[in-house]
Amino acid sequence: MALHLNLFHEEIQELRQRQRDPLKIGILVVIGFGALLFLYYAWCAYRTLEIRSRLNTKEQEWSKVEPKVIAAQKRATELTGIISTTRVLDQMIEDRFFWAPFLQELSRCVAPNAQLTSLEGNVLDDKKGVAVSIEGVSAGREPRSAAEDLRQMLLEQLGKSYKDVKVEFKTLEDLDTIVNVGGTNMAMARYVLTVSFNPFSTVAASPTPNPRMKNK
Amino acid sequence: MIPLNLKRDQIQKLVLSAIGFVVLLYVYFSFFLGPLNKSRNAMLLKINDRQSKLNASKNDISKAGSLEQQAANATARFAALKALNPEGAPIAWFPPRIKVFFANQQIDKANARLENSSPFKESELSEWMRYNWLIELPQAEFSALGTAIAELENSEPLLSITKIKILASNDQPQFQQVVMTASTIIQKR
Repeated sequence: MALHLNLFHEEIQELRQRQRDPLKIGILVVIGFGALLFLYYAWCAYRTLEIRSRLNTKEQEWSKVEPKVIAAQKRATELTGIISTTRVLDQMIEDRFFWAPFLQELSRCVAPNAQLTSLEGNVLDDKKGVAVSIEGVSAGREPRSAAEDLRQMLLEQLGKSYKDVKVEFKTLEDLDTIVNVGGTNMAMARYVLTVSFNPFSTVAASPTPNPRMKNK
Repeated sequence: MIPLNLKRDQIQKLVLSAIGFVVLLYVYFSFFLGPLNKSRNAMLLKINDRQSKLNASKNDISKAGSLEQQAANATARFAALKALNPEGAPIAWFPPRIKVFFANQQIDKANARLENSSPFKESELSEWMRYNWLIELPQAEFSALGTAIAELENSEPLLSITKIKILASNDQPQFQQVVMTASTIIQKR
Protein backbone atom coordinates (compact mmCIF):
# COMPACT_ATOMS: atom_id res chain seq x y z
CA MET A 1 0.00 0.00 0.00
CA ALA A 2 1.36 3.35 -1.11
CA LEU A 3 1.96 5.99 1.46
CA HIS A 4 0.01 9.18 0.88
CA LEU A 5 1.17 12.28 2.44
CA ASN A 6 -1.26 15.11 2.74
CA LEU A 7 0.83 18.20 2.64
CA PHE A 8 -2.24 20.47 2.68
CA HIS A 9 -3.84 19.02 5.75
CA GLU A 10 -3.51 22.25 7.66
CA GLU A 11 -5.20 24.24 4.93
CA ILE A 12 -7.92 21.62 4.59
CA GLN A 13 -8.50 21.70 8.33
CA GLU A 14 -8.72 25.50 8.28
CA LEU A 15 -11.16 25.29 5.39
CA ARG A 16 -13.27 22.80 7.31
CA GLN A 17 -13.09 24.94 10.41
CA ARG A 18 -14.20 27.99 8.46
CA GLN A 19 -17.07 25.98 7.06
CA ARG A 20 -18.04 24.82 10.56
CA ASP A 21 -17.88 28.35 11.96
CA PRO A 22 -20.90 28.50 14.31
CA LEU A 23 -21.29 32.24 13.85
CA LYS A 24 -21.50 31.86 10.13
CA ILE A 25 -23.89 28.95 10.44
CA GLY A 26 -25.92 30.91 12.98
CA ILE A 27 -26.07 33.95 10.71
CA LEU A 28 -27.18 31.75 7.87
CA VAL A 29 -29.84 30.15 10.04
CA VAL A 30 -30.98 33.57 11.28
CA ILE A 31 -31.08 34.92 7.73
CA GLY A 32 -33.03 31.87 6.57
CA PHE A 33 -35.44 32.09 9.43
CA GLY A 34 -35.69 35.85 8.94
CA ALA A 35 -36.57 35.26 5.31
CA LEU A 36 -39.32 32.87 6.37
CA LEU A 37 -40.59 35.39 8.87
CA PHE A 38 -40.49 38.12 6.26
CA LEU A 39 -42.52 35.96 3.89
CA TYR A 40 -45.04 35.30 6.64
CA TYR A 41 -45.13 38.99 7.44
CA ALA A 42 -45.70 39.80 3.78
CA TRP A 43 -48.58 37.32 3.68
CA CYS A 44 -50.09 38.85 6.81
CA ALA A 45 -49.62 42.34 5.42
CA TYR A 46 -51.34 41.28 2.21
CA ARG A 47 -54.29 39.92 4.19
CA THR A 48 -54.37 43.09 6.27
CA LEU A 49 -54.48 45.20 3.13
CA GLU A 50 -57.31 43.07 1.85
CA ILE A 51 -59.19 43.57 5.13
CA ARG A 52 -58.52 47.28 4.94
CA SER A 53 -60.00 47.30 1.47
CA ARG A 54 -63.10 45.48 2.79
CA LEU A 55 -63.31 47.95 5.64
CA ASN A 56 -63.14 50.87 3.22
CA THR A 57 -65.97 49.34 1.21
CA LYS A 58 -68.07 48.96 4.36
CA GLU A 59 -67.23 52.49 5.43
CA GLN A 60 -68.38 53.81 2.07
CA GLU A 61 -71.59 51.78 2.30
CA TRP A 62 -72.19 53.05 5.81
CA SER A 63 -71.47 56.66 4.88
CA LYS A 64 -74.14 56.34 2.18
CA VAL A 65 -76.64 54.68 4.50
CA GLU A 66 -75.93 56.63 7.70
CA PRO A 67 -77.87 59.82 6.83
CA LYS A 68 -80.86 57.71 5.82
CA VAL A 69 -80.64 55.70 9.05
CA ILE A 70 -80.39 58.84 11.18
CA ALA A 71 -83.34 60.35 9.34
CA ALA A 72 -85.32 57.11 9.72
CA GLN A 73 -84.55 56.90 13.44
CA LYS A 74 -85.49 60.54 13.91
CA ARG A 75 -88.72 60.03 12.00
CA ALA A 76 -89.50 56.85 13.97
CA THR A 77 -89.02 58.75 17.24
CA GLU A 78 -91.17 61.59 15.95
CA LEU A 79 -93.90 59.18 14.81
CA THR A 80 -93.84 57.31 18.11
CA GLY A 81 -94.25 60.65 19.87
CA ILE A 82 -97.12 61.62 17.58
CA ILE A 83 -98.85 58.28 18.12
CA SER A 84 -98.56 58.45 21.90
CA THR A 85 -99.57 62.13 22.03
CA THR A 86 -102.57 61.48 19.79
CA ARG A 87 -103.56 58.51 21.94
CA VAL A 88 -103.45 60.61 25.12
CA LEU A 89 -105.31 63.49 23.47
CA ASP A 90 -107.95 61.10 22.11
CA GLN A 91 -108.36 59.64 25.56
CA MET A 92 -108.88 63.12 26.99
CA ILE A 93 -111.36 63.93 24.26
CA GLU A 94 -113.24 60.69 24.91
CA ASP A 95 -113.25 61.32 28.65
CA ARG A 96 -114.90 64.73 28.39
CA PHE A 97 -118.23 65.20 30.01
CA PHE A 98 -120.82 66.65 27.64
CA TRP A 99 -123.12 69.14 29.30
CA ALA A 100 -125.53 69.55 26.41
CA PRO A 101 -127.21 66.12 26.76
CA PHE A 102 -127.45 66.63 30.50
CA LEU A 103 -129.15 70.01 30.07
CA GLN A 104 -131.46 68.44 27.51
CA GLU A 105 -132.43 65.66 29.95
CA LEU A 106 -132.90 68.22 32.70
CA SER A 107 -135.15 70.44 30.59
CA ARG A 108 -137.31 67.40 29.76
CA CYS A 109 -137.76 66.61 33.43
CA VAL A 110 -139.01 70.04 34.46
CA ALA A 111 -142.80 70.06 34.58
CA PRO A 112 -144.82 73.26 33.88
CA ASN A 113 -145.48 73.71 37.59
CA ALA A 114 -141.79 73.68 38.43
CA GLN A 115 -139.16 76.28 37.75
CA LEU A 116 -135.43 76.16 38.10
CA THR A 117 -133.82 79.33 39.35
CA SER A 118 -130.22 78.28 39.36
CA LEU A 119 -128.00 75.43 38.39
CA GLU A 120 -124.40 74.90 39.31
CA GLY A 121 -122.49 71.93 38.00
CA ASN A 122 -118.91 70.72 38.43
CA VAL A 123 -116.97 67.95 36.77
CA LEU A 124 -114.99 66.47 39.64
CA ASP A 125 -111.29 65.79 39.25
CA ASP A 126 -109.87 62.35 38.50
CA LYS A 127 -113.08 61.13 36.87
CA LYS A 128 -114.85 61.02 40.21
CA GLY A 129 -118.06 62.09 38.60
CA VAL A 130 -120.23 65.14 38.19
CA ALA A 131 -121.92 67.11 40.97
CA VAL A 132 -124.81 69.43 40.22
CA SER A 133 -126.76 71.66 42.53
CA ILE A 134 -130.21 72.71 41.29
CA GLU A 135 -132.30 75.37 42.95
CA GLY A 136 -135.89 76.01 42.05
CA VAL A 137 -139.49 76.47 43.02
CA SER A 138 -142.56 74.33 42.43
CA ALA A 139 -146.21 75.16 42.60
CA GLY A 140 -149.28 73.04 43.16
CA ARG A 141 -151.81 71.98 45.66
CA GLU A 142 -149.02 69.89 47.06
CA PRO A 143 -145.92 71.85 46.07
CA ARG A 144 -143.62 69.46 47.93
CA SER A 145 -145.07 66.62 45.92
CA ALA A 146 -144.39 68.55 42.69
CA ALA A 147 -140.77 68.94 43.79
CA GLU A 148 -140.60 65.24 44.61
CA ASP A 149 -141.95 64.45 41.14
CA LEU A 150 -139.09 66.44 39.68
CA ARG A 151 -136.62 64.54 41.84
CA GLN A 152 -138.07 61.18 40.80
CA MET A 153 -138.08 62.17 37.14
CA LEU A 154 -134.47 63.29 37.30
CA LEU A 155 -133.47 60.05 39.01
CA GLU A 156 -135.22 58.00 36.37
CA GLN A 157 -134.10 59.91 33.30
CA LEU A 158 -130.49 60.46 34.35
CA GLY A 159 -130.27 56.82 35.40
CA LYS A 160 -130.76 55.85 31.76
CA SER A 161 -127.62 57.66 30.68
CA TYR A 162 -125.33 57.70 33.69
CA LYS A 163 -124.21 55.41 36.49
CA ASP A 164 -124.41 55.93 40.24
CA VAL A 165 -127.08 58.59 39.96
CA LYS A 166 -128.12 60.24 43.20
CA VAL A 167 -130.70 62.99 43.40
CA GLU A 168 -131.37 64.26 46.88
CA PHE A 169 -133.05 67.25 48.45
CA LYS A 170 -130.67 69.49 50.22
CA THR A 171 -133.54 71.71 51.31
CA LEU A 172 -137.26 71.65 50.65
CA GLU A 173 -139.40 74.30 52.28
CA ASP A 174 -142.85 75.79 51.77
CA LEU A 175 -143.13 79.41 50.75
CA ASP A 176 -145.78 81.84 51.84
CA THR A 177 -146.20 83.09 48.31
CA ILE A 178 -149.26 82.04 46.33
CA VAL A 179 -148.99 81.94 42.54
CA ASN A 180 -151.61 81.74 39.87
CA VAL A 181 -151.03 78.88 37.48
CA GLY A 182 -153.60 78.45 34.73
CA GLY A 183 -156.12 80.55 36.66
CA THR A 184 -155.71 78.54 39.85
CA ASN A 185 -154.01 79.81 42.96
CA MET A 186 -151.37 77.44 44.13
CA ALA A 187 -148.94 77.20 47.00
CA MET A 188 -145.22 77.22 46.36
CA ALA A 189 -142.23 75.37 47.69
CA ARG A 190 -138.56 76.12 47.28
CA TYR A 191 -136.02 73.35 46.94
CA VAL A 192 -132.37 72.70 46.43
CA LEU A 193 -131.52 69.40 44.79
CA THR A 194 -128.07 67.89 44.78
CA VAL A 195 -127.47 65.61 41.85
CA SER A 196 -124.43 63.42 41.50
CA PHE A 197 -123.63 60.78 38.93
CA ASN A 198 -120.71 59.17 37.19
CA PRO A 199 -120.59 59.52 33.43
CA PHE A 200 -117.16 57.92 33.20
CA SER A 201 -117.82 54.41 34.51
CA THR A 202 -119.77 53.52 31.38
CA VAL A 203 -120.31 54.89 27.90
CA ALA A 204 -121.41 58.43 28.44
CA ALA A 205 -124.32 59.89 26.60
CA SER A 206 -123.14 61.49 23.44
CA PRO A 207 -124.44 64.89 22.56
CA THR A 208 -126.40 65.33 19.40
CA PRO A 209 -125.02 65.47 16.82
CA ASN A 210 -122.01 63.14 16.97
CA PRO A 211 -119.35 64.43 19.40
CA ARG A 212 -116.52 63.57 17.02
CA MET A 213 -114.43 66.29 15.60
CA LYS A 214 -115.63 67.70 12.35
CA ASN A 215 -113.65 66.51 9.37
CA LYS A 216 -111.38 69.17 8.04
CA MET B 1 -25.23 12.13 17.23
CA ILE B 2 -22.28 14.12 16.08
CA PRO B 3 -20.17 15.04 19.01
CA LEU B 4 -19.80 18.76 19.39
CA ASN B 5 -16.24 19.62 20.12
CA LEU B 6 -16.64 23.33 20.26
CA LYS B 7 -13.93 25.69 21.16
CA ARG B 8 -14.48 28.59 23.46
CA ASP B 9 -14.65 31.19 20.70
CA GLN B 10 -17.10 28.95 18.86
CA ILE B 11 -19.34 28.72 21.92
CA GLN B 12 -19.22 32.51 22.18
CA LYS B 13 -20.23 32.83 18.56
CA LEU B 14 -22.98 30.30 19.10
CA VAL B 15 -24.31 32.21 22.09
CA LEU B 16 -24.07 35.42 20.06
CA SER B 17 -26.05 33.79 17.27
CA ALA B 18 -28.69 32.63 19.76
CA ILE B 19 -28.95 36.11 21.21
CA GLY B 20 -29.27 37.52 17.70
CA PHE B 21 -31.99 35.00 17.02
CA VAL B 22 -33.91 35.97 20.15
CA VAL B 23 -33.52 39.66 19.31
CA LEU B 24 -34.75 38.95 15.81
CA LEU B 25 -37.82 37.17 17.15
CA TYR B 26 -38.48 39.93 19.65
CA VAL B 27 -38.20 42.67 17.05
CA TYR B 28 -40.28 40.68 14.60
CA PHE B 29 -43.15 40.01 16.95
CA SER B 30 -43.06 43.29 18.81
CA PHE B 31 -42.53 45.75 16.02
CA PHE B 32 -43.78 44.02 12.91
CA LEU B 33 -46.20 41.12 13.31
CA GLY B 34 -47.76 42.33 16.58
CA PRO B 35 -48.88 45.77 15.36
CA LEU B 36 -49.94 44.26 12.07
CA ASN B 37 -52.14 41.69 13.81
CA LYS B 38 -53.44 44.33 16.19
CA SER B 39 -54.37 46.58 13.30
CA ARG B 40 -55.96 43.66 11.44
CA ASN B 41 -58.02 42.63 14.48
CA ALA B 42 -59.13 46.21 14.99
CA MET B 43 -60.18 46.43 11.37
CA LEU B 44 -62.05 43.12 11.61
CA LEU B 45 -63.89 44.43 14.67
CA LYS B 46 -64.72 47.61 12.77
CA ILE B 47 -65.97 45.58 9.82
CA ASN B 48 -68.20 43.54 12.13
CA ASP B 49 -69.43 46.71 13.75
CA ARG B 50 -70.20 48.35 10.40
CA GLN B 51 -71.86 45.16 9.17
CA SER B 52 -74.08 44.96 12.23
CA LYS B 53 -74.90 48.65 11.83
CA LEU B 54 -75.72 48.10 8.18
CA ASN B 55 -77.96 45.16 9.07
CA ALA B 56 -79.62 47.17 11.82
CA SER B 57 -80.00 50.13 9.46
CA LYS B 58 -82.05 48.00 7.08
CA ASN B 59 -84.30 47.08 10.00
CA ASP B 60 -84.50 50.71 11.13
CA ILE B 61 -85.40 51.97 7.68
CA SER B 62 -88.01 49.27 7.12
CA LYS B 63 -89.36 49.82 10.65
CA ALA B 64 -89.67 53.54 10.02
CA GLY B 65 -91.41 52.78 6.73
CA SER B 66 -93.94 50.44 8.33
CA LEU B 67 -94.38 52.85 11.25
CA GLU B 68 -95.10 55.60 8.74
CA GLN B 69 -97.91 53.49 7.30
CA GLN B 70 -99.24 52.53 10.71
CA ALA B 71 -99.07 56.12 11.92
CA ALA B 72 -100.88 57.54 8.91
CA ASN B 73 -104.15 57.86 10.82
CA ALA B 74 -102.46 59.17 13.95
CA THR B 75 -100.45 61.69 11.91
CA ALA B 76 -103.54 62.94 10.12
CA ARG B 77 -105.44 63.15 13.40
CA PHE B 78 -102.53 64.91 15.10
CA ALA B 79 -102.32 67.44 12.26
CA ALA B 80 -106.07 68.01 12.51
CA LEU B 81 -105.86 68.56 16.25
CA LYS B 82 -102.96 70.96 15.80
CA ALA B 83 -104.85 72.82 13.11
CA LEU B 84 -107.75 73.44 15.50
CA ASN B 85 -105.78 76.16 17.22
CA PRO B 86 -104.28 79.03 15.27
CA GLU B 87 -100.79 80.43 15.69
CA GLY B 88 -100.14 83.02 18.35
CA ALA B 89 -100.87 83.52 22.00
CA PRO B 90 -104.19 81.89 22.99
CA ILE B 91 -105.22 84.99 24.92
CA ALA B 92 -105.14 86.86 21.63
CA TRP B 93 -107.41 84.58 19.62
CA PHE B 94 -109.52 82.52 22.03
CA PRO B 95 -111.79 85.26 23.52
CA PRO B 96 -112.70 86.75 20.10
CA ARG B 97 -113.30 83.28 18.76
CA ILE B 98 -115.70 82.47 21.61
CA LYS B 99 -117.46 85.78 21.12
CA VAL B 100 -117.96 85.08 17.42
CA PHE B 101 -119.03 81.51 18.15
CA PHE B 102 -121.79 82.51 20.57
CA ALA B 103 -122.84 85.40 18.34
CA ASN B 104 -123.40 82.82 15.60
CA GLN B 105 -125.52 80.87 18.09
CA GLN B 106 -127.80 83.88 18.71
CA ILE B 107 -126.12 84.70 22.03
CA ASP B 108 -124.84 88.18 21.55
CA LYS B 109 -123.05 88.97 24.74
CA ALA B 110 -120.18 86.65 25.48
CA ASN B 111 -116.97 87.31 27.33
CA ALA B 112 -114.06 84.98 27.80
CA ARG B 113 -111.08 85.61 30.00
CA LEU B 114 -108.11 83.53 30.93
CA GLU B 115 -108.13 82.16 34.47
CA ASN B 116 -104.87 80.26 34.43
CA SER B 117 -102.69 77.95 32.40
CA SER B 118 -100.63 74.97 33.43
CA PRO B 119 -98.49 72.28 31.84
CA PHE B 120 -99.61 68.68 31.77
CA LYS B 121 -98.22 65.97 34.00
CA GLU B 122 -98.19 63.48 31.15
CA SER B 123 -94.84 63.34 29.40
CA GLU B 124 -96.61 62.78 26.06
CA LEU B 125 -98.15 66.24 26.37
CA SER B 126 -94.96 68.12 27.17
CA GLU B 127 -95.57 70.28 24.08
CA TRP B 128 -99.11 71.12 25.13
CA MET B 129 -100.63 73.39 27.78
CA ARG B 130 -103.95 73.45 29.57
CA TYR B 131 -105.68 76.84 29.57
CA ASN B 132 -108.66 77.46 31.81
CA TRP B 133 -111.08 80.13 30.63
CA LEU B 134 -114.02 81.82 32.28
CA ILE B 135 -116.80 82.30 29.77
CA GLU B 136 -119.61 84.64 30.76
CA LEU B 137 -122.94 84.84 28.96
CA PRO B 138 -125.03 87.48 30.74
CA GLN B 139 -128.05 87.04 28.49
CA ALA B 140 -128.71 83.57 27.15
CA GLU B 141 -131.98 81.91 26.35
CA PHE B 142 -131.99 78.32 27.64
CA SER B 143 -132.69 76.43 24.41
CA ALA B 144 -130.20 78.57 22.46
CA LEU B 145 -127.71 77.98 25.25
CA GLY B 146 -128.20 74.21 25.05
CA THR B 147 -127.73 74.20 21.31
CA ALA B 148 -124.69 76.44 21.60
CA ILE B 149 -123.09 74.23 24.24
CA ALA B 150 -123.74 71.12 22.13
CA GLU B 151 -122.19 72.82 19.11
CA LEU B 152 -119.24 74.04 21.18
CA GLU B 153 -118.59 70.56 22.56
CA ASN B 154 -118.83 69.05 19.09
CA SER B 155 -116.77 71.59 17.21
CA GLU B 156 -114.03 71.99 19.83
CA PRO B 157 -112.81 68.53 20.79
CA LEU B 158 -109.93 69.97 22.79
CA LEU B 159 -112.29 72.03 24.92
CA SER B 160 -114.15 70.67 27.89
CA ILE B 161 -116.52 72.52 30.18
CA THR B 162 -115.57 71.73 33.75
CA LYS B 163 -117.97 74.05 35.57
CA ILE B 164 -121.24 75.62 34.63
CA LYS B 165 -123.49 78.03 36.51
CA ILE B 166 -126.86 79.06 35.18
CA LEU B 167 -128.90 81.68 37.00
CA ALA B 168 -132.39 82.82 36.16
CA SER B 169 -132.46 86.50 35.39
CA ASN B 170 -134.86 88.46 37.59
CA ASP B 171 -135.22 91.38 35.20
CA GLN B 172 -135.73 89.37 32.02
CA PRO B 173 -137.28 85.99 32.79
CA GLN B 174 -136.67 84.68 29.28
CA PHE B 175 -132.90 84.95 29.77
CA GLN B 176 -130.40 83.25 32.00
CA GLN B 177 -127.01 84.37 33.18
CA VAL B 178 -124.40 81.75 32.47
CA VAL B 179 -120.85 81.39 33.69
CA MET B 180 -118.76 78.49 32.43
CA THR B 181 -115.24 77.37 33.12
CA ALA B 182 -113.80 75.76 30.05
CA SER B 183 -110.50 73.95 29.81
CA THR B 184 -108.69 73.89 26.49
CA ILE B 185 -105.68 71.90 25.38
CA ILE B 186 -103.45 74.05 23.23
CA GLN B 187 -100.08 73.32 21.72
CA LYS B 188 -97.22 75.52 22.83
CA ARG B 189 -96.20 77.88 20.06
